[in-house]
Amino acid sequence: MARDDRKRRFELLALPHLDAAYNLARWLAGNTTDAEDVVQDAYLRAYRYFDAFHGGNFRVWLLTIVRNCFMTWVRENRSSRMVFHADPPVGTTAETEETAWGQRPTDPETMLLDSIDSQTLARLMERLPVEYREVLLLREVEDLPYKDIAAITGVPLGTVMSRLSRARLALRRLWLGSEAPEAAHGA
Amino acid sequence: MAHDRIRRLVPALADGELGPLRRFMVTRHLARCPDCTAELEALQSMQTMIRTRLPLHRAPPGLAARIGAALPLEAPPPAPSRPWLPAGRFAGTALAGALAGVALTLLLVGSHGGDDPLTADVIGDHIRSMQADHLTDVATSDQHTVKPWLSARLDVSPAVKELAAQGFPLVGGRLDYVDGHPAAAIVYRHDKHVINLFAWASAGSDAGFREAARQGFNVVTWRRDGITYYAVSDVEADQLAAFAHLVASG
Repeated sequence: MARDDRKRRFELLALPHLDAAYNLARWLAGNTTDAEDVVQDAYLRAYRYFDAFHGGNFRVWLLTIVRNCFMTWVRENRSSRMVFHADPPVGTTAETEETAWGQRPTDPETMLLDSIDSQTLARLMERLPVEYREVLLLREVEDLPYKDIAAITGVPLGTVMSRLSRARLALRRLWLGSEAPEAAHGA
Repeated sequence: MAHDRIRRLVPALADGELGPLRRFMVTRHLARCPDCTAELEALQSMQTMIRTRLPLHRAPPGLAARIGAALPLEAPPPAPSRPWLPAGRFAGTALAGALAGVALTLLLVGSHGGDDPLTADVIGDHIRSMQADHLTDVATSDQHTVKPWLSARLDVSPAVKELAAQGFPLVGGRLDYVDGHPAAAIVYRHDKHVINLFAWASAGSDAGFREAARQGFNVVTWRRDGITYYAVSDVEADQLAAFAHLVASG
């Protein structure tokens, strides 16, 4: 009886976030089968540790578990594609950002990503390192504040900010690269 | 010098992470710095692109059922080392649990009651929305943010209005489930009361306002342009009716 109630309470809180959980897993894992495995694993794990949820934002708590399950999955199915890059030292970062963001665009129209279509954007996102994709999704799609992104990804706030900057820079470079004529017909 | 320091704050401004003082400083700098202004615009255009054009992946239809079926097999952790619901910071959980109980009762009442079962369903959603510090997924009084955020995730584009001048400030939006279907929940306030406006796509012609009251909550429902709306709150019935007319008008 109590167990039934526990299950229902969990479902009431967790099922509304199934699409968010799946979307994150799908973007991280890169394919539907693995995303489903990751999400199912995450939900079972969340249910097991449901009693450890002490209030707060349930979606953030759940996405943290989804993310951890994905990391476990990566470790168990290690593939070269899925390597998380270590964050470069802060000094280099600032310098890179400065020069890259500091260039005056020759053509402001192309600098703004206004004309990008969904498919191209999806393709570019897929080419980003997974930890860049992750922060962009959490920030722009899940609309989460830095502190929640820090909680989910398990890194300090400052790292979230620099990683987000590098992710945006990387996406911009990919976009500008894909705009170049020689790259347009490639891949 | 000031320029370099401010420049580093521009992404935080775009992300809504600056407090009032720093926001003021950065905004003042932007007014006379085309460089930083261009950077802010580039950032914002990228944000808009990702928010509006990145394809989202919906959970496959069978996944919820598969998870639901697997849950009972998943045993809770063996004998918790601490009491089930101790005082202090766990009080919120106890309250949430109690409220979830209320919500469940309401759901049951609805399914056995003679009238519109959805009334009880949306009241349950309304209660739940306030229990777990999860009133909004996107918290902003800007209707131009809430509407695209919801539209990008649902098949519908419900009416989202700024009604602060009329006493119903917009608080934000959230994804919810009503009757097993994804629904938009647009959140307003009236004084200290929360109003949840649920909206989802439904076939059928437009339908006028219907009011209901149950368990201390008032509900107003109507259908317009293929979208069913349920406004739920504990504000007075005539206030909620006025709110419903404001949303539906124009």
